[in-house]
Formats: sequence, C-alpha cells, structure tokens
Amino acid sequence: MNAAVRTPVPGSLSQAAFEQRLRDAVMDAAPLLNARLLPVSVRSAALNRALAAGLPQLRDDLWRYADLKFLGSAPWAPVPSAQDTNRWIEAARTVLPERLAGFERLVFVNGRHAAALSDPLAPVDADTAPVVPERTRHERFGWLNDAFATDLIRLSLSGSRRLELVFVATPVDVPQALHPRIELALQPGAEVTVIERHCGSAGDNGLINVAVQIHVGSAARCQHLREQSLAANAQLLDTLQVALDTDAQYEQTLLQLGARSARSSQRVSLYGAGSAARLHAVAVAHGARTLDHSLLIDHLAAHTSNAQVLRAIAGDRAHVAFRSRVEVAATARGAASEQSLKGLLGGTGAEIDLRPQLEIHTDQVRASHGATTGALDENMRFYLLSRGLDPQTARRVLEWSFLEDAICRIGDADLRRVAEKSLVAAVGNAVAGEALQ
Amino acid sequence: MSVVLSIQNLHVKVSDREVLRGINLDVPAGEVHAIMGPNGSGKSSLSHVLAGKPGYEVTAGSVSYQGRDLLALPAEERAREGVFLGFQYPVEIPGVNNTYLLRAALNAARRHRGQSEVDAYDFLELVRAKARMMKMDESFLTRGVNEGFSGGEKKRNEILQMLVLEPKLAILDESDSGLDIDALKVVADGINSLRSPERSLLLVTHYQRLLDHVRPDRVHVLAQGRILKSGGPELARELEQRGYDWVLESAA
Repeated sequence: MNAAVRTPVPGSLSQAAFEQRLRDAVMDAAPLLNARLLPVSVRSAALNRALAAGLPQLRDDLWRYADLKFLGSAPWAPVPSAQDTNRWIEAARTVLPERLAGFERLVFVNGRHAAALSDPLAPVDADTAPVVPERTRHERFGWLNDAFATDLIRLSLSGSRRLELVFVATPVDVPQALHPRIELALQPGAEVTVIERHCGSAGDNGLINVAVQIHVGSAARCQHLREQSLAANAQLLDTLQVALDTDAQYEQTLLQLGARSARSSQRVSLYGAGSAARLHAVAVAHGARTLDHSLLIDHLAAHTSNAQVLRAIAGDRAHVAFRSRVEVAATARGAASEQSLKGLLGGTGAEIDLRPQLEIHTDQVRASHGATTGALDENMRFYLLSRGLDPQTARRVLEWSFLEDAICRIGDADLRRVAEKSLVAAVGNAVAGEALQ
Repeated sequence: MSVVLSIQNLHVKVSDREVLRGINLDVPAGEVHAIMGPNGSGKSSLSHVLAGKPGYEVTAGSVSYQGRDLLALPAEERAREGVFLGFQYPVEIPGVNNTYLLRAALNAARRHRGQSEVDAYDFLELVRAKARMMKMDESFLTRGVNEGFSGGEKKRNEILQMLVLEPKLAILDESDSGLDIDALKVVADGINSLRSPERSLLLVTHYQRLLDHVRPDRVHVLAQGRILKSGGPELARELEQRGYDWVLESAA
C-alpha cells in the first residue's frame, strides 16, 4: 500500500510526517546510541521495520481504542545527558519510591543508568538478548525502542533474585523521548521477583516508549509487578514480550495508575509444555485519561494455562480499553484459559471497552471468559450507608474492594503488600489505606 | 413512656406495586416489638423503608423517629441518629477489613454527635470483647466484611455491629433465619444484652423460635401490607400453632 494514501490514526499526524519525524530523530540521536548494547545494524533494521509498519490504522482492530493523537507532536530522540545529570539525579530523588528491603535496586533517570541511586549491580551482564518471538505490527513500537534505546537492563538470572527496576522521568528544556528497556533471561529453575516502576514526568509532549522482553527458562518462576504511576501529562507506549519454556511460570501484576494516554501491547508465548501465565491488571482512569491494552496469548504446547483478571475503573471522561486474544494451537492439548474482565463506570462521559477473544484449534481445552461493565452495586452501597458511612466514603470503599479483587490474587504476600501500597498512594485513597487487611 | 418510632398510615410502592398499604405502629422506648407474617407480606419492605433503602416510594403516611421526620433523612444520617438495620442477607465486601467498617461506622456516628473519634486501642478492646460475646473468633475481625462467612457467621457479624454501634432503634430483619440452635442462642443473647429502657427493638421474623429467647412486649401480624392483628407474646405462640391463615380470614 502506498504510504501517502493510508488513513492515519485520529489526530493531525500524517504517515509522511511520522516518517519524517523518525528520520530526523535518527540524525539527532545518532551520537547518543550505544552501539555495543544494540549494534547499528540492529537499530537500523528495526527502524526500517517501524517505517514499513507505519502508524496503526484506524480500522485496525488491534489499535481501535488507543489514543495516539500525541504522536502528532511527540519527539522520538532521547536528549543528551551530559550537561544535566546531577540535576536529574536530584530531581529523581524527590519522586523515588521508598527502598524495599531485600530487593536489589537499579534506577534509570531519563533513560540513563543512575549509579548514584542504584545498588552496585551491573545493569548488563549478558551478551545477547533473551529469546522471544519476533516482533509483529502488534509490537511495532518496540522496534522504535530498538532504534532509540540509550541504556538498558539485560540480565541473565539464576537462583533466587529480587529486583526493583525504577525508571524515573524528569522534565528537561526540550521535548524528550525515553525508551526504557528490560531484557531478562531466567535460567532453568530460577525464582525471580521483578518490580518495574515508571514514575515522574517527561514534561508536556514527552514520550515514554517501554520495551520489555523476558524469557522464562524451564521450571523457572517469574513474578513481575509493573507499576505505572506517571504524571498526569505523560504519554506512554509499552511493548512486552514474554516466552515460557517447559513448566515455566510467569505472573504479571499491572498497575495502570497514571499518564494521560497509555497503550500497552503484550504478547505471551506459552511454547513449553506445562507453562503457565497469570495476569492481574488494575486500571484507574479519571479526567481525560485513556488506558488501552492489547494482549495476545499464544498457547503452543500441551497443558499450558493462562488466567487474566482485569479490574478497571473509569470516571469523568476517561476511557479504559482491554482487548485480550487467546489463541490455542492444535499442539496445545489440555490447555486452560480463564478471563475475568470487569469494569466499573463512575461517570456518564466515561467509557470501558472489554473484549475477551478466544480461538481454539484443538479439542480438550478448558476455557472460560467473562466481561462485565457496570456501576457500583446498589446493595453494597446501601449496606455501607446503612452503617453511617457518607456516600463519598462508601464509593471509595467499594472501589477499593473492586480493585483489591485483582491484587489479592498475587501469590507472594510481600509483593502483594507492595502492590497494595502503590495502589493506595496512587489512588490517593486514604480510605483504602485504612481498609487494607 | 416516650415513643421512639411512630408510623402513621404508611403506604409504599416498589416499581408500581404497592407493598405497604397503611401501616400504623408505635414503638415506645425500651420495648421489643416483633413483626411476624407470611412470606411476601411486606416485612422486609418495612425494614428497608425505615433504613432508607433506595427504590421504595412512600406514597402516603409518615414515620417519626424521636420526634423527627425519619423519611426526610438520607440513609447514612438515619444510621448516625441511631437507627440500625440488621440485614436478612448481609452483603459481602471483599478486601475491606471487617474492623475498618466497624470503626468507620462508629466514628461516623461519634462525629455526628460532636464527639471525637474513638481511640484505636480502646476500640480494639471494645470490638474484641463484643466478638467474644458473639462467640466469634478474632480472625473474623481482620477478614473482609462478611467475605466467605457462612450464613450463621454473617448473622452473628450483624449483631456484632449492632453491639458496637449501640443503636437507639434496632430493626433486625430475620436475624434468626438460617441459624442452628446454638447460633440462635448466641444471637438472642446478643440482642438481649442490648435491651434497655432507652432502646427499642423491632424483630422481623417468620418464626416464633427467636421469641422464645427474646421475649417481645408486643407482637404484630403483618400481611398483605397491613398490620392485621396485634397482641402480647402469647400471640406468637398462637401463630406458631395455628399458622397465619386464621388471621387473614378473620381480617377479610
């Protein structure tokens, strides 16, 4: 198809202007890009793929609800770090979450490893990236992370490890793009807990373009808590790819609590027999926030399982969308899939779109899915009012109860408490803090 | 003796169906009144209207509580003024600590009365003592509100809330249903412990067995949205033996 006649996503950006922005960004970014981490050949090939894929089309079901209007003005090049590192570090200290006991911490500020804020842990200890399925157009913004990432985390993990990876954004004088990047390879039998946090603000018109790739080796177990509590003007693209070997387990808890517009594109490949993936997602949207999610789960081997729980709240004019497509291949006998997606609407202008999808190419599959969106349960509300709670407090208590339904499924009690604390802080909900069990 | 609750000619509709058709009832301070009646007679509707549940339209009549127009108050204010509804089907609120709800409820009432919030340690002592009285393990205090409780545990939790809140008027909607004999005794003991000259109780029940343990001052038969007959405690026994039909027939 000729690029010039493609329909762009809603907004002012044309395909040609998008391409021009990317080419300009390459010129600006060239001196900043570390060729040892990602060779020029890889970066250049990725950029060409991104250019070929272009902008998502309006009619593309995978992108239907994403708010990408900001791409009309978003920059792609990272900013040079040299002149301002100390100021960045000081600014980052003010938004850094409290230290967690027992976790090794790595901090990145505006895309650069901040040794002063990190434990003496090498952010790169592996030569090659973990093996995950190739990117497709669904993961297209990952190619632009390949092209523009400055520093990255690339670790080969064995034994028992607990890591906290914090990506802090702090405004600079010019519009900037940040490309946080995590590559983890869990060796067979490893037990790894990873907390990934995105906080701060890249400034108006800033862009944060995350790419995460995780390979979970055979019988390894990965618990991954992802907290997005960016400032209310932030614009986020997130691309995550996970591949699971035999009997591997991957549990992700996604807290979408900030940003103005965030789009998360995830692909999970269950290629090892007996592997299992669980996703607990919480999305809280107020004001004009848009939180869009698209998941592709591929069951490729026998006795693989996946379970997804989403609890989303949208108030004011906010919008939450969650599309989750589970595909069970002919080779995945005995697979199990569960999807429980629930939305809570808190305003007449708010919108929640939940789309569980299932495609099965084999017999002997256990699959269930449910998707419901509604207002607060009147019986629950009346119960609290009848005990003297005011309507505002009752609403907060019930919202907390609703979200907690996803969080309480986190297997590890310590990690669950971290998630609950983040949720309380971000929702600004004193009630929830007291109601914590 | 002052009248705590006075209901005059109360007519109530739920989505165009008239569920209460002229209720008249006075409950003086310190008295326990039982409302009995067959299924669908309007017993739960009466409880809900008094507590302020949305969806009930009062088409005629009035309800005065301690001399004030009860129907003019929103549900939460009725609660803070000392009206307590023990639910027939207590609601589960997963993830919200049982103790949190108790403390929030007590503090809402205290603030309403111009008192300071309850001291955290005093409160824990109080709640533990009341839980022991209801023969509830302390673990119930830290679990989610009614989350995973059995039917009997939920009913005991309602009475526990009542003991902590010490209402002026308690309306207990079938607090005895679904209880085994031991649990019924515990619930009855809890209710009896609150009997006092300044407190009134309205026991809404289908059966007479709770009334063996909590002796009412008056018994009213509610059927077809009206109180058809009133009497002393002996009326409850008569109903148990003869059923409700004779009351309906004599009223017809």
